[in-house]
Amino acid sequence: MKIPFSNLKSERKLEYTILIAIALFVFKIIFPVSNTFILKTINEILVFAEFYFGFLYATDFIAPRKNSPLSIVLNSGILAAVIFFIVAVSSSLFDIEDVFSAVSNFITSILTTLLSFVFIGALIYIFSVFKELFFLQQKKDPQKYFNAMLIFMSAAFFASSIAKSNPEWNFANLTFYSVALVLISLNSLRVSWIAFLSKKQKLFLLIISIILSLLFGFNFGLTFDNSFINKVIINFSPGLHLCLNLVMIYGTIYFGVIFFTTLFHLPTAEAFDRKAAEASSLMDLSKLITQVFDFKELADTVTSVTTNVCNSDSAWLVTKSGSGTFELNSVKNIGFVDANTITECLLSEDSIDENQVTSITAEMIERKAKDQLIQSGLKAVVIAPLKAQGITNGFLFTGRKQNYNFDEDDLKSIEAFADYAAVAMENAKLLEQSIENERMESELNVAREIQKKLLPLSTPKFDNLEISALFIPALEVGGDYYDFFNLGSNKLGFVIADVSGKGIPAAFIMAEVKGVFESLARLISSPKELLIKANEILKQSLDSKDFVTAIYGIIDVEKGKLVFARAGHVPLLMCRDNHIQNLRPAGIGIALDDGRAFEPNLHEMEIELNNNDILTLFTDGITEAKNLSNEEFGSYRFEKIIKENCNSDLDKLSDKILSEITVFSKDKPQHDDITLILFKWNFNNKPAGVI
Amino acid sequence: MSDFNVLTRNVGKVNVIDVKGYLDAHTAPELENEFNKLIRGSKYNVVVNFNDLTYISSAGLGVFMAYVETMRENNGDIKFSNMKDDVFNIFDLLGFPVLYEFFKEEGEAIKKFNDLK
Repeated sequence: MKIPFSNLKSERKLEYTILIAIALFVFKIIFPVSNTFILKTINEILVFAEFYFGFLYATDFIAPRKNSPLSIVLNSGILAAVIFFIVAVSSSLFDIEDVFSAVSNFITSILTTLLSFVFIGALIYIFSVFKELFFLQQKKDPQKYFNAMLIFMSAAFFASSIAKSNPEWNFANLTFYSVALVLISLNSLRVSWIAFLSKKQKLFLLIISIILSLLFGFNFGLTFDNSFINKVIINFSPGLHLCLNLVMIYGTIYFGVIFFTTLFHLPTAEAFDRKAAEASSLMDLSKLITQVFDFKELADTVTSVTTNVCNSDSAWLVTKSGSGTFELNSVKNIGFVDANTITECLLSEDSIDENQVTSITAEMIERKAKDQLIQSGLKAVVIAPLKAQGITNGFLFTGRKQNYNFDEDDLKSIEAFADYAAVAMENAKLLEQSIENERMESELNVAREIQKKLLPLSTPKFDNLEISALFIPALEVGGDYYDFFNLGSNKLGFVIADVSGKGIPAAFIMAEVKGVFESLARLISSPKELLIKANEILKQSLDSKDFVTAIYGIIDVEKGKLVFARAGHVPLLMCRDNHIQNLRPAGIGIALDDGRAFEPNLHEMEIELNNNDILTLFTDGITEAKNLSNEEFGSYRFEKIIKENCNSDLDKLSDKILSEITVFSKDKPQHDDITLILFKWNFNNKPAGVI
Repeated sequence: MSDFNVLTRNVGKVNVIDVKGYLDAHTAPELENEFNKLIRGSKYNVVVNFNDLTYISSAGLGVFMAYVETMRENNGDIKFSNMKDDVFNIFDLLGFPVLYEFFKEEGEAIKKFNDLK
């Protein structure tokens, strides 16, 4: 249930408050003394409205500050002191008689009106503070109790005005006043917010609450005085006087209750503080876990939180490194060397279970570790494992110099902190791994780029010889290489090579192979001699486990003559008259042997090309392409495609081969580079009369 | 997919390595380990039995090349036996038969070692 007008915007409330204040002021100037019923009624309604909107506005104004209850309590106390001061000073300065002689005086009437406004303002503020404190930290909604109190206070307000001029209504005044008083007393019991203060704040509150209770009490007592100020206020509005009276008694009761409640809360304040600190530390830690990229930073937080929350003197955190030794990540209030030696001594103790939180005192342990502990001044130590997925990756230590052991609560919070550290460690590790993976991925991309740049950008063009080349790198780069060399006098040199192994090492070797072939091609005109030389060079530079297979050949593009040699590479396929021939002259792989076996076993082959002959050079990425059931594409399928398409043009044949392989090995990642070079001898293409 | 298995047996002075499954860049280190153990034990007469090998990649071939010199320098050797046709084809294409001895049966390879002594 909402009280009327409480939904207005706060600027609107302020506007209304000011408007009513101006109206009230003007009214008071015109009618300094209200002596007819109408005037009295208007006067009281204006005062009540001023109170009402003023209260609504002040509530909005104070609400944002409710998180620091002590400061608003202090503010209300200051206002109560101001009221006390005004009342005390004015009663000693002015004589009661003066007031009535001066009542018609214009200046006096303005002054008394302003003075009343000061009281109204102060009362509104104080009452709003009470309201805020009343609702503070309430789990159930106590709105109806407060509203009931407001209703009876309002009723008492008007009853007192009526009773002022009609003493026979005094009973109504008394009734509402008493009920309001009872409700005030009941509502004053809602002080649960005190529990959430820290011990220091409680001590502070204890002192100011007794002072404020007394101050409000004095003010309350003074409202019954026949003093100057009371006369002025009663003259201004009897309702205002009643409000002053009620708010002062509210303050007296409320701060009295606060005083005693705080007094009773004091002994448990420390435990409450601890729980609160623990909860907020855990919150901080869980925030850190998602933010922290640096495990060291988190380890520092864990050790400092541990010492703070568990009231211990020092804490340190160690993690297991790969070799089973321990690495100190963070120390708090203890030397590096001390922490190290204590860690080593304690963890070598048999009595310590690596998988649960253990609390030990110096008496419980063996001589060596005991001496260490005593030397560092620690009397009790807790060891908590950092466990992630059931595996202990490190330990959180904390120690006390005092002679009392860690209790059950301490152990629980230490365990919680250790768990957080463990999770954070796991996170940091995963992060590192994913960064590493990313780095590898980008390295592979670089390697792939290098490989592409080492291969020819385009295929050479000749009248009699059609050429098509295809290269598809595998996900993991391989070491395929092919190239064409224009050797002049109608000679075209070509090479296809496959480096053993995969990945970056293979890519490096491939680059070297390119260098060797490129330079040798210009120097040596016999494929056999060239391969012998290449073997000599590469045998020296390659690791003993690496080798290269290659075919090097030269085509005379005028005469249609092919000379080539094969160093361990898959055969050259020649399709002639719809028949595939595997051209496989003897020859062992490059760098398998230092040359003693390589040279005598290498044979050159010479072929006179016929029209429409297709030469196919490839790497085993084609024949060894696999499907999901691990079956190889194989040379049978490969040769069949070539045979069936030997009459279409080379690019179509190349596309056909690629699409067949793709269909065959779909859903299975390509595991090796695919290289395919096709030559077609087209003597007919030659323009007539060139020979 | 990396179901590769390697096991070394002692047949007199000869050590027989049984390779089984899929020998590629990922499984090659297991075979390298086996060779390292033999060299540490100064055992240089090795027969590799390929009876159960289904696939060998270039990285797998590289393992033999890496160790054969050490064996030969110490008057030993690596000999191959029981190779299936498709696996042999790979070795053959590369010219391995020029450099290594291949036998149909493990026993023949062992006999060759023993005859030499």
